[in-house]
Amino acid sequence: MSTGQDSLGFGLGLRSEYYQEILEQRPAVDWFEIVSENYLVDGGKALYFLDAIGERYPLVMHGVSLSIGGPHELDRDYLRRLKHLAARVQPAWISDHLCWSRGNAHQLHDLLPLPYTEESLQHVAARVRQVQDVIERPLVLENVSSYLRCADDQFSEWQFLSALSELSGCELLLDVNNVYVSARNHGFDAWEFISSLPQQRIRQLHLAGHSDYGSYLIDTHDQPVSDPVWQLYQRTLQHLGPVSTLLERDDHFPALDELLTELNKARSVAAAALNGAPLCA
Amino acid sequence: MRLSDWQAEVQRYLLNGDATPHPVLQASLLGSAALTAEQGLAIYHNAYRARLLETLRGDYPAVHGWLGDEEFDALALAYLNAHPSQHYSLRWLGAQLADFIEGYLVPAQAAPLSELARLEWAFTLAFDALDADALSMAQMAALAAEDWPTLQVRLLPSVQWLTCRHNSLALWRACKEQSEFPGSQPLPEAQTCLVWRDQLVTRYRSLAADEATALQGMAVQGWNFAELCAELSGLGEQAPVQAVTWLRQWLSDGLLQRQSAGR
Repeated sequence: MSTGQDSLGFGLGLRSEYYQEILEQRPAVDWFEIVSENYLVDGGKALYFLDAIGERYPLVMHGVSLSIGGPHELDRDYLRRLKHLAARVQPAWISDHLCWSRGNAHQLHDLLPLPYTEESLQHVAARVRQVQDVIERPLVLENVSSYLRCADDQFSEWQFLSALSELSGCELLLDVNNVYVSARNHGFDAWEFISSLPQQRIRQLHLAGHSDYGSYLIDTHDQPVSDPVWQLYQRTLQHLGPVSTLLERDDHFPALDELLTELNKARSVAAAALNGAPLCA
Repeated sequence: MRLSDWQAEVQRYLLNGDATPHPVLQASLLGSAALTAEQGLAIYHNAYRARLLETLRGDYPAVHGWLGDEEFDALALAYLNAHPSQHYSLRWLGAQLADFIEGYLVPAQAAPLSELARLEWAFTLAFDALDADALSMAQMAALAAEDWPTLQVRLLPSVQWLTCRHNSLALWRACKEQSEFPGSQPLPEAQTCLVWRDQLVTRYRSLAADEATALQGMAVQGWNFAELCAELSGLGEQAPVQAVTWLRQWLSDGLLQRQSAGR
């Protein structure tokens, strides 16, 4: 269960581009989120910096290839390595995405959305329980940006996430940008999504940028956070209280200072939200 | 439609070069005013290829530089068709590219290109291979004189051993330094090239044939130091001097670890 006291504060995604600067400058970042797969290697630079940075900052593990909704058997080797990495990193929690990234024959390396049906719900919930048995803690699952919607859907995405959390005990990583992107693409109300989720299950928030293609949006993670997403973030915190917030950037890496400035904006927006200030323009 | 059937349709659509969806898949989706089902599918179709091509370009910058965008992408797409990804990590996506090139191109083109691909892959293997403590000069200096003859060593886990028949190192260097591409040439004789990681820095070096034979004998075949000297007996009194010179070089390169007792 997440409460304000559990909040790690304001974190950044750990990317190799910033390793050296982080160690030399000790930037004012409360915690770092790692992409787990980048460290499922035998040795070398990534693990060296992981250990060094992990001595100085709290870490959270965020995976991209669990494929919790996939049609295949869960990858036992992957889970074993993930658990081994967790023993090394001692993460505050372990997250992945509500999606599938592997088909019955091949890896697809994308965060593919699921049909929100009773069949999917039972399928995913059973697999979440299997994963939790291995990692011995609640799995935290993130809502993905999506560009597909299934005609057979029996639930909205937020109903599905809520039911999944209830059934499996998983916690939620609410990506505010992804909600905004999917809401624009599929024409639903972003606030209805966020306000309908079980508050106590929300372990972490993500903020990121997207690209605007006119009528639709693509979640590119290569831009600063957009104004409507800041507004949604402020409203989310007014609703939830303090929650660990992570600023994600996966491409077009700016100077670290630029990300720190953006992270400070998150701090300001959060402070305003928690002081009951009017929504930012 | 059952979940697994729908996922099989999506997988088939993504893997197929043609972005036209099967009517069954099309019918399973709803579009919106902002984004039609076709547009949504196309976003995933494009992203799948773009992501995998970007990964291969990143792992094979010199092969990419040699071929240019168009030819590299054609090669990469043919490779992905033949070897759809099986590993959860994109780290391993390009593992079989060099082998694939050998069967994909005519031998005269395949030989230098696959050799360059093998060299580039060796750099990726050295980069994240298992850490191990290299045997240091100081440790060797502390070795008792009576322990020298039976000294045995082996290569560190990161050391990649390649045989080059073309100027692949020169091509790789030109790409790395962004200097003029020298053009592919066969070498007068085959050359051993080592790629390894020294602490956190990936290094490479080519070896003359006699040094390569000596290193192979000692670090792979398990000769002890006395056996190395015996192999060099043609050098007469210079044999131990040569053996020590090479050993010193291998230690300063950071190539070796001590082999514990027994073979």
